[in-house]
Amino acid sequence: MDHAAAGPALRAPARPGARAGAKRRREAALAWLLLAPALAVFLLYRIIPLGWNAILSLQEWSPFKPAVWVGLDHYREMLTEDPTFWEALANTLWFTASAPVGIAIALGIALLVNTDVRGRDVYRTFVFISYPLMTVAVGIIWRWMLDERVGLFNYALRSVGLIEQPIPFLQSFELALPSVIVANIWQIVGFYMIILLTGLQTIPRNLYEAAAIDGASARQQFFRITLPLLRPSLFLCFVIGVMSSFTSFDLVYVMTNGGPGHSSELLVTYLYKAGFEMTRFDYAAALTVVQFALLVALTWIGNKASGGDAGAVERG
Amino acid sequence: MKTPRPWLAAALAVLALALAAGPAAAQKKLSFLTWNISDQKDLFDLWIAEFRKLRPDVEVEWLDKKGPEWPAFYQTQVVAGTPPDIINTQGGLWLEYAAAGGLADLTPYLKKDADVRARFNADYLANWTYDGKNYMLPFYVNKTLLFYNKTMFKEAGLAGPPKSFDELVQYAQKMSKGDKSGFLTMNFDWLYWPLFKMNGVELLTPDLKKAAFNTPQAVKVVEALAKATQGGGINKIAWTGRWVEPNGAFAAGNVGMLHAHSPAFFFVRGQAPWINPDTLGAVNAPGGWATPNSHGLGISKGSKNPDIAWEFLKMVTSDKWTLEFSNRRKVLTGNVKSDTATIAAMRKDDPLAAQVLQTQLEQTDKLTGNWRIAVDSRVKEAFYPELQNALLGRKTAKEALDEAERKVNRALARQ
Repeated sequence: MDHAAAGPALRAPARPGARAGAKRRREAALAWLLLAPALAVFLLYRIIPLGWNAILSLQEWSPFKPAVWVGLDHYREMLTEDPTFWEALANTLWFTASAPVGIAIALGIALLVNTDVRGRDVYRTFVFISYPLMTVAVGIIWRWMLDERVGLFNYALRSVGLIEQPIPFLQSFELALPSVIVANIWQIVGFYMIILLTGLQTIPRNLYEAAAIDGASARQQFFRITLPLLRPSLFLCFVIGVMSSFTSFDLVYVMTNGGPGHSSELLVTYLYKAGFEMTRFDYAAALTVVQFALLVALTWIGNKASGGDAGAVERG
Repeated sequence: MKTPRPWLAAALAVLALALAAGPAAAQKKLSFLTWNISDQKDLFDLWIAEFRKLRPDVEVEWLDKKGPEWPAFYQTQVVAGTPPDIINTQGGLWLEYAAAGGLADLTPYLKKDADVRARFNADYLANWTYDGKNYMLPFYVNKTLLFYNKTMFKEAGLAGPPKSFDELVQYAQKMSKGDKSGFLTMNFDWLYWPLFKMNGVELLTPDLKKAAFNTPQAVKVVEALAKATQGGGINKIAWTGRWVEPNGAFAAGNVGMLHAHSPAFFFVRGQAPWINPDTLGAVNAPGGWATPNSHGLGISKGSKNPDIAWEFLKMVTSDKWTLEFSNRRKVLTGNVKSDTATIAAMRKDDPLAAQVLQTQLEQTDKLTGNWRIAVDSRVKEAFYPELQNALLGRKTAKEALDEAERKVNRALARQ
């Protein structure tokens, strides 16, 4: 082959490729340029504080004193000397475990209001209405509803003769945390429902029609069509549920302040107390690192459990 | 060579003058951070106006934060290097700041201005000392007392308020019936501690280095309180509620006694039309022991103008302004002259309020629950949840006190 003769002929088709490469680079530069403000904010308000928090967790520090390096001392204290940490951790995991319960309830409601039932828009609104309420307001409402002496629940239970003595929901070691969990589910279930309803409405009707023609029962249709196709929505609900459980500060703070004892203490309320009530920002930072690691682990498990690609973006 | 343009030369000259004159002519600035007292804006405006007359070169900025926000706000300001010059804190929060070197020592100022020291009730002023140094001045003062519902006392056949802890528990049980309970106490900031102190129980050793409360007597006290709580004599809200719940329950007229500090009276009366001198009594708790929950005024160590801040404090704690403050807010200020005048005037207009406030000036040598330890909040957090465990039936008194002792000693060891 005459390479000298072939040279110009080989170089000629390279020009459109080079142009395409340059175009891709320009597009990438533009994309980064457009992303830059958001990334800068993310870096400034998320990544840098996160890194600083991790460093702080290895120091002895207060606003009035210079920092002293103490290595893993706070973690050692947390794991070996602080029973409150373990109680708060167990409560946080219980609280998180309630997320699937809320999602299951929301799925049931979403399935109901997805049918052609009369007045379904009204039902949807009623279920959703609790979500936009301020969490502090939700906490106050539930605190009074569960009050031992003047609460609606005790009044109703006594009126129908189910109990003789009022139940001290929020003063009880056994019932304080479940009471807060119920309030949390009540508030968030409407939001889950909207997500799942949107997911349900994207499932093509013809799949159900084809399944019905093939003789699939309603149960089979639910398990073979609805649930698999709802997986991304369910995963989204799970992630939101886990995050909201881990950060459910206001509800606990207003309803029980973590008590009685530490029976409804969550990691998030405990780290607030450590930082702002006990002025132990360093120890609070260590608690935050542990909470962050747990949150990442739970989200990873959730993703794996839903097939490993539930959060993936589909490519066109 | 080009000659400079005239307008540029003029601008440069003006800039140079401004730079030279700027620092000299600049206003000094004081910032003043208060704790949940935004209702007194009018009074603070008057203070600021008066101070401007004394010091026209000083601008005063007033900020107010609600209780839960206050520590977070102050601490972030300290970290940022811009702490408010003057701060108003409540309870024992100041101790950590003082111990960590965050507050200016006011002792030299009080030595220099002996008339300022003489203004105050010595016991209330001494409440703000740490390690022998005075870090704050009283802003408004209060301590716990015992309110009792005279109607419920009559119904239970009780002649007058209890004179001992045992009587208090007995009376509480006697008044407990159906929806009615006999006793409630506030539980934040050691306000319940007089119940232990009246039984001779000490929280810490005299050197404040170790827990001292785990004694047979303390076990007896906790057992008695737990038994009364389980039996309904003591309302459970006493150990779980914060401010609104216990006050609200007492205001409903279904609780025989309320152990709280004096501001509770005004809150309760606002909700309870049944309250008048014939139906409500106010006395010192058995033994005369009381926990102060006063508000103080201090100067941040990081203040750039501590001397001016002291001038401001001198002005606002003067007889004139403390009397004005007392009249507007129905509080005592620790200033002996104005507190005496306030109560004298109140006896005519509002005898019940006068009776309540009078208790705040009595037996001020029997203040408890105000240990001068840098880790006050950590000790509180170590002790109270364990006490709750015992009082609400999760642990025995001995188990709870054993665990509390371990936790308190650990907190003390880490200071």
